[in-house]
Amino acid sequence: MLLQLNNIFKWVNSGGQRVFLLKDINLNVEEGEFISVMGPSGSGKSTLLNVIGMLDGFDEGEYHFLDESVHSLKEKHRANLYKEYIGFVFQSYHLLDELTVKENLEMPLLYKKFKGSERKAMVADMLDRFNIVGKKDLFPAQLSGGQQQLVGIARALISNPKLILADEPTGNLNSAQGEEIMELFKALNEEGVTIIQVTHSEKNAAYGSRIINLLDGRMV
Amino acid sequence: MFKLYLKIAVRYLLKNKLYSFINVFGLAIGVMSFIMIMCYVSMEWSYDKFEESHLVHRVFMDYIEGDQFVPGDANSYQLSGATLTEKFPEIESYVRFRRFDEQNFVVDRQVYDDQIISMVDPTYFDIFNQKLVLGNESTALVEPFSIVISEVLANTVFGRENPIGKKVELAFDGQFLPLTVTGVIDFSNRRTHIPTDCLISLSSYFNLPYFERERQNVWTQNEFYTYLKVRKGTDLADLNAKVMAFKPGEDIHEFERHHLEPLESIHLNSNKPYEAQANGSASSVKMLALIALITMLLSWINYANLTTSKSMERAKEIGVRKVVGAGRHQLVGQFLFESFVLNTAAILLGIVLILLVLPTFSSFVGYDFSLNGKTLRQLLPYLLIVLFGTSLVSFLPSFAISKYKPTSVLKGKLANSGSGLFLRRTLLTGQFIATICLLSGTFIAFKQIDYLKNRPLGTNLNQVLAIKGQAINRSKDSLFHRDFNVVLEELKKKNYVADITVASTYPGEDYGNANSNVGIQYVDGTVDEKHIWYNYAVWPNYFDLMEMDFVAGGPFHQTSQKKSKNIVVNETMAKLMGVHNPQNLIGKTTVFWGENWQIVGVLKDYSHFGIKSLAKPIIVRHNNISQNILIKLNEQVINLAGIDNALQDIESVWRDVFPMSTFNYKFVDSQFEATYADEQRLAKVFPIFTLLSILIASLGLFGLTSYTLIQRTKEIGIRKVNGASIAQILQLLNQNFVKWVGLAFIIAVPISWFAMDRWLQGFAYRTNLSWWVFALAGVMTLLIALLTVSWQSFKAATTNPIESLRDE
Repeated sequence: MLLQLNNIFKWVNSGGQRVFLLKDINLNVEEGEFISVMGPSGSGKSTLLNVIGMLDGFDEGEYHFLDESVHSLKEKHRANLYKEYIGFVFQSYHLLDELTVKENLEMPLLYKKFKGSERKAMVADMLDRFNIVGKKDLFPAQLSGGQQQLVGIARALISNPKLILADEPTGNLNSAQGEEIMELFKALNEEGVTIIQVTHSEKNAAYGSRIINLLDGRMV
Repeated sequence: MFKLYLKIAVRYLLKNKLYSFINVFGLAIGVMSFIMIMCYVSMEWSYDKFEESHLVHRVFMDYIEGDQFVPGDANSYQLSGATLTEKFPEIESYVRFRRFDEQNFVVDRQVYDDQIISMVDPTYFDIFNQKLVLGNESTALVEPFSIVISEVLANTVFGRENPIGKKVELAFDGQFLPLTVTGVIDFSNRRTHIPTDCLISLSSYFNLPYFERERQNVWTQNEFYTYLKVRKGTDLADLNAKVMAFKPGEDIHEFERHHLEPLESIHLNSNKPYEAQANGSASSVKMLALIALITMLLSWINYANLTTSKSMERAKEIGVRKVVGAGRHQLVGQFLFESFVLNTAAILLGIVLILLVLPTFSSFVGYDFSLNGKTLRQLLPYLLIVLFGTSLVSFLPSFAISKYKPTSVLKGKLANSGSGLFLRRTLLTGQFIATICLLSGTFIAFKQIDYLKNRPLGTNLNQVLAIKGQAINRSKDSLFHRDFNVVLEELKKKNYVADITVASTYPGEDYGNANSNVGIQYVDGTVDEKHIWYNYAVWPNYFDLMEMDFVAGGPFHQTSQKKSKNIVVNETMAKLMGVHNPQNLIGKTTVFWGENWQIVGVLKDYSHFGIKSLAKPIIVRHNNISQNILIKLNEQVINLAGIDNALQDIESVWRDVFPMSTFNYKFVDSQFEATYADEQRLAKVFPIFTLLSILIASLGLFGLTSYTLIQRTKEIGIRKVNGASIAQILQLLNQNFVKWVGLAFIIAVPISWFAMDRWLQGFAYRTNLSWWVFALAGVMTLLIALLTVSWQSFKAATTNPIESLRDE
């Protein structure tokens, strides 16, 4: 078991009323799964992803990640946990514009205290694996959207996370590029990486091994 | 349309309270500092300025000091004016001042004491361009024993009566000298280096027996301030050269020459022996003007920085406005209007602040800045500068804002102009430079004052009281001396009096009562006619009371006549005499004033003319004088009994013996401190405005930080998601500021070094420019910068990245 959500509730108070963002979410994720989260806008997909990624808290319920009780962990421990095990992929890639491809890939390693030689090896390895060695000295603005997302995924993978969280990873890409990225996810999943993606597209959702449908913060 | 603009502006400013407050407050502080300093500075600049004042020049004497001429005396001779005017056709006219401090008038048995009188030529009114309130300028000062009194004095003495033709009596030389009031003059509209309370016709001087001997010393006794008015178009350098080369007569010594200086520059640039009063200092005034300018610039930079950075947050609003059809000029108009509202608020707040602190400021700098029509008129030009500059800086952000492209701002991308950022960073570095300069300047000014204060004076002025009383109806005959001794004997019995002596002058009294002389025959027979030396007379226990040390010999021995031809010299005088071992001087004889004087002691050098100047050659004579009574107070008794009681007691002793008299006292230590009052004032004002400048600079930094952080929100989010800790983010955000402070430090140190070195040159004894002063200023600036920045960057670093990385 990679992670387990038990009766997760999340709400905000607006105008004296409690508005539920997540309502009684129960979810077990095994290692090696590829889950697609679907649902209309505002149904709580991204919120769920943020909760799983420990970027966002919740108001009620229990969250276990690799035998750790996330709900009772201190902020610092939580940060260490997601630093070590989780990689994020975004719809708009979120690469740093001022850094080259190589430097963007290296950035997370800097925050994980890897040695210089190690970092170099890991970055080279990743560049190889994603076939972007020729682009290593380019800046994000010089790449196509698909290539940028490739770098984004490479960056998420670089420190060998157990779980990749992807929030509409193909949302900004054309269909051909989107397909390429989804094939990549599939290949990664087959290598053993657990993936949870949020998507609007039935076609992309079909890549996953399991589909979770959300409506108004509730799993349906 | 304007109503709408106003509504939007006010709503916006009220919605962003912190921003509005910082912006208005920052500007208001700038406005206040600038106007107040400039008020003071313009006051200092306004001395002796009137119509055609640039044609008026003072004649002063250069003396030879070694091989070259140095400014030696603010006074010149009785005949200097007339002789120069006759010789040089460029000179139109001259006026002489024979000036006396601390004079007393008697009208109807009522004494009006402590008046400054000046005996002047009738040309005074023309040369100084003064009009009489009452009386006729062409006749008022012609007849002997005519007096023109100030309006203030006229009101206190005669009230509403017309004073013209009334008699006042001047207590002079133990007699009452009747004078006729021929005019009333208003001095209040004039600031001058030679203030006076009333003018007496100089013809009186020529009719008074008291001056008979002085009148004959036309080329040996210089007691007159002489001012010349030159014709328009005169080449002054040429005239000055001719005047300096000119020998007016056989009698004038070779070691001196006449010299001219512009009247307008005397107050700030002249610091000669025997000035009419302690003058201001041009360097201090320049320094203050510079601070004023820096403060104002800082607050303008700030305003531009803050407004621009704040407008980043409004990019979306601007996009929306553009999309719905707002033209660029309409947007500019709107933002300008907001600037207008904000600046008006700032200037109004600035004026309120001025009104609040003006009384404190006045007493602080020792000037009366009461708010009246005149002060307001003085404020006006500076207010206009402020208005002009502020409206100029308002344009900058308005144009920058209106340039945003609607398509990009609506997508959430901010207009990111690299050049604008560069400009802002440059301005910020400029602010750091100013801060470091001001801080190190403050430290050095403090260090210097501290150094001066703690330098051994060579004498102890603590608890020394100088009593100066004048018996109005008594001439200084033997009877007077007897009564004077009665006072001393009475005072000696008091338990609060530790010791008592009499001296013609004392340290801290400046040049006023010390005689300057040239011409002395040394112990080895050589005659020196090239060096100025000073002398004064004391009673024998003076040295003991003032705790002065002897390097050879000792004080005078009391004689039955209470005077002798014994003298004590200081070390500098001994060096001038060419004697290395002071012991060799004891018992030797020198000749001056046509008499033999025997040296009985050599004093260790002490500060007589203030701590700013080097020790000068001094001879102290033994004489039975009756001028200043110096009392060393018993500290313990005084602490118990209270100083006011003691002063009252002393006065009653004095008044018992001299019923018709004046009584003044001074604490010698504070009088001595007044010799560097200008520096102390600067040391007081400097830190205040430094603090304000730092405050303004911090506000600017605050603005720039928020700007940078908005720019980097996304980056921070990405880094955090990829594992950066708060400390790492803080380091990332703050390291740039460290870099800029570092750069500013490198630029600021030489500037500040140079400026403070120049300032220190004005002191004979100066502290050194230690490296730690600059290091401290740099570190403090860095700390201030980091504190300001960290407040916001901490907020940014702790923000949840999902806020900044949202994709909608």
